[in-house]
Amino acid sequence: MSTVALPGVEAAASAGGPRRRLSPWQAWGLVLLAPYVAVFLVFVLYPVGYGLWLARHPQSYVQLFADPVFAGSVVNTLIFLIVGINLKMAVALFLSGFFVTARPWIRWLSVLFILPWAVPSIPTILSIRFMLNPEWGVVNQVIFRLTGADGPNWLNDRWIALSMAMLVHIWKSLPFWTMILIAGRLAIPGELYEAASVDGASVWQRFRFITWPSLSTLYLTSAILSMIWTLGDFNSVYLLTGGGPADLTHVLATLGIRYLRLDQVDLAMATIVSALPLVLPLVYFMMKRLSR
Amino acid sequence: MKRLLTEAKLVLIGIPVAIWTLLPIYHMFLFSISTKEEAFSGELWPAHPTLRNFGVVFREQNYFLNHFWRQFANSLLIAVAVGAITLVVAAGAAFSISRLRTRGGRLVLNCALFTYFIPAAFLAVPMYKAMGTYGLLNTQWALILAMVTIASPYAIWVLKQASDKLPWELDEAARIDGASPLQLFRLVYLPLIAPSLVAVGTYALLLAWNEYLYAFLLLSNDKDITLPVALGHFLSADDSPWELLMTTGLIYALPPAAIYYAFKRYMVAGLTAGAVKS
Amino acid sequence: MAPVSFNNIAKTFGSTEVIRGISFDIRDGEFMVLVGPSGCGKSTLLRMLAGLEEITAGTIAIDGRVVNQVDSKDRDIAMVFQSYALYPHMSVRDNMGFSLRLRRADRSEIDARVMRAARILNLEPYLDRYPRELSGGQRQRVAMGRAIVRDPKVFLFDEPLSNLDAKLRVQMRSEIKALHQRLKTTTVYVTHDQIEAMTMADRIVVMHDGAIEQIGTPLELYDRPDNLFVAQFIGSPAMNVVRGTLRRTGSAAHVETADGVRWPAGSGGGVDGQAVAYGVRPDHLELGGGGERTVPGEIVVVEPTGSETELVVRIGDAQMTVETHGRTTLQPGDKVGFAIDPANVHLFDQASGARLVS
Repeated sequence: MSTVALPGVEAAASAGGPRRRLSPWQAWGLVLLAPYVAVFLVFVLYPVGYGLWLARHPQSYVQLFADPVFAGSVVNTLIFLIVGINLKMAVALFLSGFFVTARPWIRWLSVLFILPWAVPSIPTILSIRFMLNPEWGVVNQVIFRLTGADGPNWLNDRWIALSMAMLVHIWKSLPFWTMILIAGRLAIPGELYEAASVDGASVWQRFRFITWPSLSTLYLTSAILSMIWTLGDFNSVYLLTGGGPADLTHVLATLGIRYLRLDQVDLAMATIVSALPLVLPLVYFMMKRLSR
Repeated sequence: MKRLLTEAKLVLIGIPVAIWTLLPIYHMFLFSISTKEEAFSGELWPAHPTLRNFGVVFREQNYFLNHFWRQFANSLLIAVAVGAITLVVAAGAAFSISRLRTRGGRLVLNCALFTYFIPAAFLAVPMYKAMGTYGLLNTQWALILAMVTIASPYAIWVLKQASDKLPWELDEAARIDGASPLQLFRLVYLPLIAPSLVAVGTYALLLAWNEYLYAFLLLSNDKDITLPVALGHFLSADDSPWELLMTTGLIYALPPAAIYYAFKRYMVAGLTAGAVKS
Repeated sequence: MAPVSFNNIAKTFGSTEVIRGISFDIRDGEFMVLVGPSGCGKSTLLRMLAGLEEITAGTIAIDGRVVNQVDSKDRDIAMVFQSYALYPHMSVRDNMGFSLRLRRADRSEIDARVMRAARILNLEPYLDRYPRELSGGQRQRVAMGRAIVRDPKVFLFDEPLSNLDAKLRVQMRSEIKALHQRLKTTTVYVTHDQIEAMTMADRIVVMHDGAIEQIGTPLELYDRPDNLFVAQFIGSPAMNVVRGTLRRTGSAAHVETADGVRWPAGSGGGVDGQAVAYGVRPDHLELGGGGERTVPGEIVVVEPTGSETELVVRIGDAQMTVETHGRTTLQPGDKVGFAIDPANVHLFDQASGARLVS
């Protein structure tokens, strides 16, 4: 082709005219874009601006930082992010290798494996909540039957409860990330593995020199995106522990909502604002990745 | 011998994976076919499986279930509305940005992406206040509009990716053939991105059906709330009928699972491609 | 059917000038080919005529009406794209009838006109198929059918044959030409392939770097290229060119190259001592012969093609292509003379590339 094709509206617009009027193509472009712009202005820009305005007083932050629940929530959130996400992504990476193995029964298993992601989280989280019920839950009943001793009170201890919330989160989102990494693995040309086998590479060496180099960017992006989403995971904690015992298992997402329910909107917004130094760099990274 | 060892290793991974995946769902199913006593007994299979729980739910014969059908309909209505409105909003925006190259489209796309990356639980707080200002609190429009806000950024992104792949010559041929912008949109663009529309519509629909937090914040009247909020209400009592909760949860979980598997082909391709561009 | 005229057309993308003030007219019913290497601006020119590209300066008129401000759909043109641009979700019938449907024509009229076009192009058996079910050549025909159905004032073709294999390309070439002879619609055809241009055009516009090098009938361009660019672009195999100094003694003239070879030249233009480019077409180097008008050569490669034989020969320091009719027993390494008729020699000024005329 001999030209740079600059497609689109400009061509339809009048040339050389004194002050061009809007061509129908440009006009329709604006009309079709308008609904989303309206949604964005009314339900994102205004609310966020209003929220930030509500959180403008330094007093709110003084009060927030003085609240021991806030400090606890920050710690919990960081644990959630660092331990939870690394564990989840590592397992997803491992399982993606398992699921690309060509076996009929593994294909069937992969269909079932999607279930936690395909079903709504509320009923399944509640189901897990009851499984962990100290008296009636199936977990402690099995422990009692096997050992004759009472199992722990799972949701009544800060660290156990937080771990359980993390497991719920992993249970729910593991399939999605495994699928992403499966897609990444399937995109690696098979000849590379054949060549490596011919060269006598071990399983570990094939992973180290072929799989990982091809997958590392995707893995990193997935981990970052997963962090953003995990920061917004309200359900896993709220529906399992409700923030308890004694508000010890809150994360920032549930804490913000807790303040909102207590009608302390400025504290709710202050909670969110104090999470921004963590969120914005991640968002910036993701926007950069997707805009390329 | 070596083959056998490999198979054994695979099975050794497969079995824990299957148990891990299915246990909470099986537990839910188990409760739904058990009487309260048997459900609480910790057995792996009830001595007398029964469908009675489903009858109780369907006939709304419990305090927590007084408005089951109404709430089911609310969930359905809101999900369908969110799916439809998101499709309209996102298809128009993607067409405008990608095919008409509307000035400012890039900025709008970045705004959408930014919204997509704000954790939903964080946006909930200002959204709740704004809905109050707009006088929409405790109306289903609040939830519908909130879910459209949350679903459309990703929908626009996926549709824009799909649109960018269509050849330019098609638009040009249509223009020379005499198509107006709207005719190009309706007669050429929409049919060609139909598979992505299915994926995006399903995504928005499931997102709305599954949503708990926004529904729980924005709706409060028992007759307005959606099923997940109603499920949450069970927790308010100490001696909740868990077997009924699990039965309702199972009924609530089935439609999205069915839709997911029905549209899996579209969903997996569309969503994995759009979610993470490697 | 309508004449088209370009008047001082210019186009810039940002600060890059891709068309630099072009003017020419296309007559009513004429088959005009725009040809040139990649990036010469021919497609941009066509797209400006189609209304797909904004005109930076100048005017384009179709049938006497300036169309700069007119939307594509109101210019009464039809275009065949390189990629065919068939609507994948529509059957052949719907593809061809789409423009009429948009114009809200009667169902019966659409059917009649689609049938008529399908008959002309032998597409009747394929009307209910979808583009993906057609071969490349069939798709190409549907794209043309879509244009024919419109019965427009002007047909535009943008490299319509470049996606076809060589054999099909030759076949479609003659089909398009036959179609034009039947419909007599003004046609503007863009290609980078000079053979397509030569075989199909009534007249050719040779473009280079956003400007016109020459306009003329195929044989005018072949016989009297205005400049070195056209001389080397038109004709296959390409014209042989050597650089040397013109020596003129009375009525006799020759060009002397640095390697000492004296190339016979005629009474054409140019002054003694001028630095020139000396061009001679491969079929104007005649095997054998001796005397004044002969240059000595050595065979390097022999390429028989059946009815003709192409030779690569070394004459002095220059490698030249020679086309001979029939077959030859020559072997690489053979020394042989080539006679050149001064009437067939093209002389160009070395600096400007312009043809030297007396």
